[in-house]
Amino acid sequence: RPLQTLFFFLFFFFEKEKRVPALSAAFDCQHGGRRALVVYPLSLQKNKHPILQPLSCLFVSIKGMSKDRMIEIRRQNCNPMTMKVTYYKKPVFIHQGYMQWLWDVDGRRYLDLFAGVATVSVGHCHPKVTAAAEQQLKKLWHTTSIYVYPTLHEYCEKLASHFPDPLKVIYLTNSGSESNDLAILMARLHTGNNDIITLRSKFFLFYMTNKGILLTMCPDVFRGPWGGSHCRDSPVQTIRECTCAQGHCMANEQYIAQLKETFATSVPNRIAAFFGEPIQGVGGAVQYPKNYLKDAYKLVRERGGICVADEVQTGFGRTGSHFWGFQGHDVIPDMVTMAKGIGNGFPMGAVVTTPEIAASFAKGLHFNTFGGNPLACAVASSVLDTIREDDTQQNSLRVGTYLMTELAKLRDKYEIIGDVRGKGLQIGVEMVRDKASRDPLPPEAMAEIFEDVKDMGVLIGKGAIYGQTFRIKPPMCITKEDVDFFMAVFDKSVRNYMERR
Amino acid sequence: MYKAISSLSGRCAALTRGSCSMPCLAYFHRASGALCQKSAFKPPSTDVPEMPPCNFSPEKYTGMSKDRMIEIRRQNCNPMTMKVTYYKKPVFIHQGYMQWLWDVDGRRYLDLFAGVATVSVGHCHPKVTAAAEQQLKKLWHTTSIYVYPTLHEYCEKLASHFPDPLKVIYLTNSGSESNDLAILMARLHTGNNDIITLRGSYHGGSPQTIGLTSNAAYKYPVASGFDSTNTMCPDVFRGPWGGSHCRDSPVQTIRECTCAQGHCMANEQYIAQLKETFATSVPNRIAAFFGEPIQGVGGAVQYPKNYLKDAYKLVRERGGICVADEVQTGFGRTGSHFWGFQGHDVIPDMVTMAKGIGNGFPMGAVVTTPEIAASFAKGLHFNTFGGNPLACAVASSVLDTIREDDTQQNSLRVGTYLMTELAKLRDKYEIIGDVRGKGLQIGVEMVRDKASRDPLPPEAMAEIFEDVKDMGVLIGKGAIYGQTFRIKPPMCITKEDVDFFMAVFDKSVRNYMERR
Repeated sequence: RPLQTLFFFLFFFFEKEKRVPALSAAFDCQHGGRRALVVYPLSLQKNKHPILQPLSCLFVSIKGMSKDRMIEIRRQNCNPMTMKVTYYKKPVFIHQGYMQWLWDVDGRRYLDLFAGVATVSVGHCHPKVTAAAEQQLKKLWHTTSIYVYPTLHEYCEKLASHFPDPLKVIYLTNSGSESNDLAILMARLHTGNNDIITLRSKFFLFYMTNKGILLTMCPDVFRGPWGGSHCRDSPVQTIRECTCAQGHCMANEQYIAQLKETFATSVPNRIAAFFGEPIQGVGGAVQYPKNYLKDAYKLVRERGGICVADEVQTGFGRTGSHFWGFQGHDVIPDMVTMAKGIGNGFPMGAVVTTPEIAASFAKGLHFNTFGGNPLACAVASSVLDTIREDDTQQNSLRVGTYLMTELAKLRDKYEIIGDVRGKGLQIGVEMVRDKASRDPLPPEAMAEIFEDVKDMGVLIGKGAIYGQTFRIKPPMCITKEDVDFFMAVFDKSVRNYMERR
Repeated sequence: MYKAISSLSGRCAALTRGSCSMPCLAYFHRASGALCQKSAFKPPSTDVPEMPPCNFSPEKYTGMSKDRMIEIRRQNCNPMTMKVTYYKKPVFIHQGYMQWLWDVDGRRYLDLFAGVATVSVGHCHPKVTAAAEQQLKKLWHTTSIYVYPTLHEYCEKLASHFPDPLKVIYLTNSGSESNDLAILMARLHTGNNDIITLRGSYHGGSPQTIGLTSNAAYKYPVASGFDSTNTMCPDVFRGPWGGSHCRDSPVQTIRECTCAQGHCMANEQYIAQLKETFATSVPNRIAAFFGEPIQGVGGAVQYPKNYLKDAYKLVRERGGICVADEVQTGFGRTGSHFWGFQGHDVIPDMVTMAKGIGNGFPMGAVVTTPEIAASFAKGLHFNTFGGNPLACAVASSVLDTIREDDTQQNSLRVGTYLMTELAKLRDKYEIIGDVRGKGLQIGVEMVRDKASRDPLPPEAMAEIFEDVKDMGVLIGKGAIYGQTFRIKPPMCITKEDVDFFMAVFDKSVRNYMERR
């Protein structure tokens, strides 16, 4: 086995106009930790797909479980929930990843525009982050906070520097759910009140049950009762019209009125907290009128509540204009929760809050065994460095804005693309039966297009209350060329669907 | 009597010098375990026991100063972080290897607490580290929206460690998450609501599991834990009933047993208490009973041998499922079996685990029957990080390592030895009340005196605790009044390590007795 042979991937990208291919990237590739000889046929397959089908690589040393065996174990030894969340009629069997690319077990390459649900922030197996992890792996994995170790403090200092005063006190956890759980506890402890309000969305449906949380009307500029063409802080506005006077937003006033009604009817006069994602994640990148959060925060604080910004998806520069989503709303929350992209896929979460609120937490004792472990801290610290060094936030802004404006053109072209929204690389494309009714495109149609996009080599996500929104949240290293490829694929898959029906 | 002089390169010098790369020394073993050193170095004046050698050299520490760490800890870390920090003079850890930890001054410690029973096979164990490095280059994360081999390789492997019908696995990121899920699945499956646990138990710190956890320190004055209640802990040492034949342990309690052969009066009494809880505090149909096979945070509290068996029967009669919380006892730690519940001769309906599953990598799991797992599919639950390729690769390697390093056998052998040595110390000192546990899940409960069995006060505990640390050993503390030392080492420790610890512990207790 010629294990010493180095090889390179050569990527050729044909743009729609079929210009001369350019060498886009070349890098060393490893499989199973060993370098392998890659024999690849340069199959262009121009006639099948608008862009070059990524070349099929035959890894000489591929070993591992067969697809059938994986599915067998998945059905026998994995909780049925695992099969239930698996995407696609024909699932994707992933073997390896690098930056914005994923390879399946057949060697087929995909452009990953979903990043394991907005989690792989700087790129699969990013070399810098991987190196930081490897370094820490040899040093110290775990002791818990019963002892003091430098990595925790190096990271907390670094993370705190990314927050405005007074948000400087950090508690590290292992997931977004753990962070939000802790936020709920701290809010109730600090305020002495109980009731928590959040906006209706699919995420809170399965996370927030059993925790005494009330949901109020989501100020969804596209599907909600009110919304117009100037509401959102986004490069792309909704198709609905705006008749508001300059400086006014009727939709915002109406939604805030709904919130006031919730306050007047469903909770006591003193509440514990308001939880809001700056842009909804699982909800399908739903965006609110520009001043909604600002006005809501004011009302919540008048009632003794604290304002929690859930940055699990929007954090770490994903919205492009700012590092944190809440900064785009011109508010300063009392508490911020985060996870997902914090460790580029390493299980980790955090709650950042003010010293005053954090102090209330010390009324009892709370111990998170894995939280703040040296491995996680080293990885997360490297992620922050990488975001700065790779200029990731700027890339999100630039490429994301380009992607949305291209998608907007597609929206104008097809009746069933109802809305394009988001900021940076937190993007949603809501599909409808028709633009007039804005009724959700049925699940079967969504599934068809979704599968087609995958078959053409792009992985995106799906979400929203009726599953009607495609979610695009790539590793934030994608390029304009990747966007062009995706646009061609998406265009074709929508067109395929329209022709079939 | 002296053993043969041993002289090996790389052995450590005096305790206070941590680096293992010192030139070789000759030293003598005493039969009692205390080491005395004969070398060119001046022996420490206080005659501190000598640490066994290790042939690993840590890197030199060049990072943040201790003062700066504490400053950031106070400014930028939640005050809870400072609150859980052990010791008057904290330990500043820099690096670890197998059962050893080095602080930033290069001082070495014998780690007998394993980051709370979490570093199962050893800090930075070479095999597990290699597996992690390999996976790091391949794939970290996609979530279960896609299929990837590592998840299935691991689930197949983990399932093979369970008896039928416990074959269906859901992976999470922590013990609290696992128990949260167990609560949800239990309620979904049974259609009932109420959950019973034992006082002194610890099942997590999340809003749901706080209700199960029966330790006041970990509870908060907010509404939580609906429909969970607890019952008297069948604590053979401190509880109202207990005798010298109750426990499945190499060391029995000092209390006497007057039971007839084949009977256990203590068990009958505690089960009667459980029946009373059933008759008064919960409806006739319940959701679940959660129990740790040996309590962890509670201080390695053990129950009469048949307690769990009898309790399981009663729970099932009321429609409830039985959940074994193996977060600390799992993965061979109890020595006799891979899972703690196997030592109780029961098969639970659900098992939760975390901590040692990944040798410190954040991970947890819930294993249950296909029938119970099916009820879960009524809704939608998505755990972003759960079952990620990195975790699975690491955990898979941990299972391999446990098998290859014969870890469970080591736990049994070294743990039994440790407990028998501790029992001798218990007989020597009035303030050591109880020694208990199995394998390397060990508790030493300290008392004012053996007659009353009242807890040794926190200040005394803190003194001995600090002294043990200053002599180079890291152990843990727990139990409802903080009166129990917890010993849950990386399961690679040796008899020599035990001898060293015994010398240190003996000395620190003696120091305390002399001071007061």
